[in-house]
Amino acid sequence: MDNTAAAQRPEAGDHASPASGPWPITLDDVTVRYPNGVVAMKNVSLEIAAGEMVAVVGLSGSGKSTMIRTINGLVKPSSGTVTVGPHDITRLKGAALRHARGDIGMIFQSFNLADRTSVYRNAMVGRFSHTPTWRTLLGIHTAQDRDIVMRALDSVGMLEKVWGRAGALSGGQKQRVAIARALAQQPAVMLADEPVASLDPPTAHSVMADLADINADRGLTVLVNLHLMDLARQYTTRMIGLRAGEVVYDGPAGSATDADFEQIYGRPVQSRDRLGEQ
Amino acid sequence: MTTADAVAGRRPDLAIPPRPRTWPRVAGIAAALAAFTILTTIPAIGGVELDFASIARNWTNGADRIVQMLTPDWSILPRTWQPLLETLEMALVGAAISAVLAVPLSLWAARPTNPNGVTRRAVRFVLNVVRAVPDLVYATVLVAMVGVGTLPGIITLVLFDIGIVVKLVSEAIDSADAHYMEAGRAAGGTQTQINRATALPQSWPAIASQVLYSLELNVRISAILGLVGAGGIGRLIDEMRGFYRYDALGTIVLEILVVVIAIEIASNLLRKRLR
Repeated sequence: MDNTAAAQRPEAGDHASPASGPWPITLDDVTVRYPNGVVAMKNVSLEIAAGEMVAVVGLSGSGKSTMIRTINGLVKPSSGTVTVGPHDITRLKGAALRHARGDIGMIFQSFNLADRTSVYRNAMVGRFSHTPTWRTLLGIHTAQDRDIVMRALDSVGMLEKVWGRAGALSGGQKQRVAIARALAQQPAVMLADEPVASLDPPTAHSVMADLADINADRGLTVLVNLHLMDLARQYTTRMIGLRAGEVVYDGPAGSATDADFEQIYGRPVQSRDRLGEQ
Repeated sequence: MTTADAVAGRRPDLAIPPRPRTWPRVAGIAAALAAFTILTTIPAIGGVELDFASIARNWTNGADRIVQMLTPDWSILPRTWQPLLETLEMALVGAAISAVLAVPLSLWAARPTNPNGVTRRAVRFVLNVVRAVPDLVYATVLVAMVGVGTLPGIITLVLFDIGIVVKLVSEAIDSADAHYMEAGRAAGGTQTQINRATALPQSWPAIASQVLYSLELNVRISAILGLVGAGGIGRLIDEMRGFYRYDALGTIVLEILVVVIAIEIASNLLRKRLR
């Protein structure tokens, strides 16, 4: 699949097959300047190999969320190029961009579930780019879509809650449903924006283990934003440190030292920076 | 502060920033509003004339009618059943039709569910026009167009309800946290898909609540619409008023009150279940 082919797909329903991943992610000299003048990313260049599991760490406001939103086109860069597999995200618009997003799963800090509807319908959101709009309007799902959603929920241990209301779930359960929603996309890349920031330490470890399993078992490229370096060291192979929109560290996660922490966070490591010691 | 300080209730000197002084601004706005209100009641500069003395001079005329209304004539009751049922039917059908039409219109009129500024403003403009026309004007024109009966009343109620429901629901959507929609966008969904699968379920309580409120209003309004021939109990009210039968009017007003209270109780029960 190339960009031209992706741009020519006229109907969402044509996008029925899973992405042929895993895919690499490339950021080439990317700068993001918001309309209020804040520069969230400054000339960031990165290459993430297909199948890699990478953590992005840094303080609030360091540009982590902007970077992840730039990768799936939710934020347009002011300059530079973002490429995910065959998609040049920065050049895509309209239906072609929606199809590219369909190949990129995303998990959010606040889960972003529609609380008033069922777990099933929330997970079915992951099938949007594979489903014609009229089907969604009428609420008619194909047997294949139902099967994909049920398997995604089963893989994160949430199948028994499939008909329950999303709003009735605990934080950890909500994040699992959000992971299932992203898996239902059958993506080539999985992005996670602070997926454990709203969770207690045991649940945070459990969700991180789920992401590590997705990387190991399904071979997806996983990029996860984290506040805590400990989680990055434990669950990822590579760590990227962002400070004020610039990459200040890029290396193996396991060998990152307290000095590297100081370089990323601008202060010495403290006990509150370790999960479970807050 | 050390633990010993905390136990002893001692606090070190704190560098508390000065509290912003907002009262002069609030007092200025209140004074301006009060001055404007007073100015609107001075006829010499184009304000309305408020002749409170006329209340003292003529209160006995109104008091006689109120006394008559407070002594209801129950013998009128059998004549009221049919028009009252007609009023209820108009209210219910009007609310139901407006509910169906208000769902897509509300989504088109709210920013999170319709990021397209052109179509959003077009929908809002049309609804502003619909809301600006008084319901009695709709009823009068529609009676002339389709004839005397319940149909012009129902169409009037639909137009009235849409104006209210769409405005209140779209404002509720505008002010609500819509993070859940970002997940649909990130998954490659179209705005229609996102609205149908996530925004609509999240908006049901607001839609249901406003439709139930419009049902309550419909009973009151449909009583008035009868005055211009748009069906319902209003026609009987007009007849009784023409014959100065304020005792019969008292009975009809009590009936409407009972119906409105019954609808309000049923609405509150439904709202609780929808939470």
